[in-house]
Amino acid sequence: MASIDITNVHKLYGRTPAVRGLDLSVEDGSFLVILGPSGCGKSTLLRMIAGLEDITAGEIAIDGRVVNDVEPGRRGCAMVFQNYALYPHMTVAENIGYALKVAGVAKAERRERIGRVAAMLGLGDLLDRKPSQLSGGQRQRVAMGRAMVRQPGIFLFDEPLSNLDAKLRIQMRLEIKRLHRELKTTSVFVTHDQVEAMTLADTLVVMNQGVIEQVGTPAEVFRRPKSRFVANFLGSPPMNFLPAGIDRRGRAVLAGGRAPWPELTFDLPAGSAIEIGLRPGDLGLVAGRETDGAIPFQPDILEDLGNELHWHGTVEGNAVAVALPAATAIPSGPVCLKAPPSAVHAFLGDGRRVEPEAAPIPTPKPSGEAPWRATSLSYT
Amino acid sequence: MTDATITGAHVAPRSVPRLRLAAAEPWLYLAPALLVVAVWTYVPLLQAFELSFYQWNMLPRSTPRFVGLDNYRNLLSLPDMRQAVVNTVLYTVGLLPLSVGIPLAVALLTGGLSGRLRNLYRALIFVPMIVAPIVAAILWRWLLNEDHGLVNAWLAGLGLGKIGFLSDPDVALWTLVWITGWKLIGFSTLLFAAADSAISPSYVEAARMDGASPWQIVRDIRLPLMSPTILLITMMTILFGAQWSFVYINALTGGGPLRSTTNVYHVMWEYGFKTMAAGWSTAAGMLVFVVFGLIAIGCLALMKRFAVYDE
Repeated sequence: MASIDITNVHKLYGRTPAVRGLDLSVEDGSFLVILGPSGCGKSTLLRMIAGLEDITAGEIAIDGRVVNDVEPGRRGCAMVFQNYALYPHMTVAENIGYALKVAGVAKAERRERIGRVAAMLGLGDLLDRKPSQLSGGQRQRVAMGRAMVRQPGIFLFDEPLSNLDAKLRIQMRLEIKRLHRELKTTSVFVTHDQVEAMTLADTLVVMNQGVIEQVGTPAEVFRRPKSRFVANFLGSPPMNFLPAGIDRRGRAVLAGGRAPWPELTFDLPAGSAIEIGLRPGDLGLVAGRETDGAIPFQPDILEDLGNELHWHGTVEGNAVAVALPAATAIPSGPVCLKAPPSAVHAFLGDGRRVEPEAAPIPTPKPSGEAPWRATSLSYT
Repeated sequence: MTDATITGAHVAPRSVPRLRLAAAEPWLYLAPALLVVAVWTYVPLLQAFELSFYQWNMLPRSTPRFVGLDNYRNLLSLPDMRQAVVNTVLYTVGLLPLSVGIPLAVALLTGGLSGRLRNLYRALIFVPMIVAPIVAAILWRWLLNEDHGLVNAWLAGLGLGKIGFLSDPDVALWTLVWITGWKLIGFSTLLFAAADSAISPSYVEAARMDGASPWQIVRDIRLPLMSPTILLITMMTILFGAQWSFVYINALTGGGPLRSTTNVYHVMWEYGFKTMAAGWSTAAGMLVFVVFGLIAIGCLALMKRFAVYDE
């Protein structure tokens, strides 16, 4: 068990910044997932924690001890690589036991510990095989075993599931989760897969272009994305964005002059341009040409995913996707979209999230009169 | 209707030769290569085998005389041949540190270098490779000359006595080993450096995470993963090392002094083209062929057994 404290860490490759002034702490025993697109610096950050990359500036401390100049093998971290990096000339047992061998652990104890880890991962029958004789999932397990055998304070995972097929990925994801529940080893897991990130993380870190966009629980990050980038990156299909302007009353007015959420007001100067973000799953259908508080939708393609329907189309020229329950009856005539005010995300031109002045109170009946409607009306 | 029959009649006879050609086609493509191999390797090999049972002085007007196994019997009892065999072993053993040991060490030590420095060392170490063998031989003859050579001048400057690099029977063979090896170091280093850089960096990183020291990484990861190249160059040195030294023997010592630098290839050449004893030469050739053939089979088996391939 160990904690990690990252303070103002920078990494430059030549003159290209990969990580730009990053602060992060990982609590003892937690499972932290770093999510981001390729090239966002997440792997670089992980490799700096591991000691495989030099730190250009800043400090990384493990259990309070600054490890900037400590050899990777002495940081108490074990790493699972994306390509597993199993030594091709060694058997499974030798692969798992190599760290113990170089640490000078006696042969008998080594065998005993390898056996214990192998049993935990279901590798007992494969100990004499070479990596080339293993399937992808088995290799993945050996890589896990190699990390576990040293009983490290920290597990570092560098996109360990990305080389597996979809089914195996889900299985290994659950296995990693289960192992973490049993071992309670502090884990840092780097991925670009949002499902992995959402399901595995205690704490989710979203990175972009070398900086952290948001840190929080997966639920927080998903429900209250701090930036347009985070909002767009999480969720499938991704969040819909509609350009809007702020009118004199502070309401968001969409193209076409519609203000579907008169109850939401923003403390922004009139005429400010913002973007309204709506998750496909938060949108509901209303049949008819034009309804109060609804947005006309020009449907295009309907996808049936079995458990869900995805309806892709446009709203005033902007691509919009709607996720609907599988049993939804699709209206044949003109159709509008409706979203409760609580589902509305708003972002400024620079991508920052902006909250409405009065946070909408989720009401059981959307048609019920809300207490803040009066305030908003009093402006008129 | 008539048209169709006419075309049909035209196609039918043409398709027959085409079919025959199709069967012969692969052999046609192979023919140039097979011809070259046959004319330059297998036919001479068989003729040499035949000739090794005859006594013949290579003069067109004299007829070869069948002598059975006499050539082989004589060769094997000849002290010259024994000396040549011992020297061949010495050449081979002496070359191994130069063709495998030093290049491997250089490749491993410089594997971490980057940029301009690496290009510089690669250029420096590769230069001997591109010098023509005969030019190298002459250069070394000048350098090592007993009376006017630069090396002996330096040795004298250091207060050491002169060394007869090419005239002292105890030293001459090692001088030739050095010159042969000096030409090889660059080539081997290049191959080893290529093999080393082909190792996936993640293996080395995994070993670093496992706590291995740089030396342990060399011993446990890099060397085993370079084993195919190490074994290949070792095998090539064993099989061809004595051959590679032929140019220098021929140009610098002619097998002397006191036959101290001769080897089986030089002996073979001497019998054949100096004393015109075709029977002896071909018999020696057959012996060399068989012995090195067996060694090659052994080496290949060892390679299969010990080389580690990363898929």
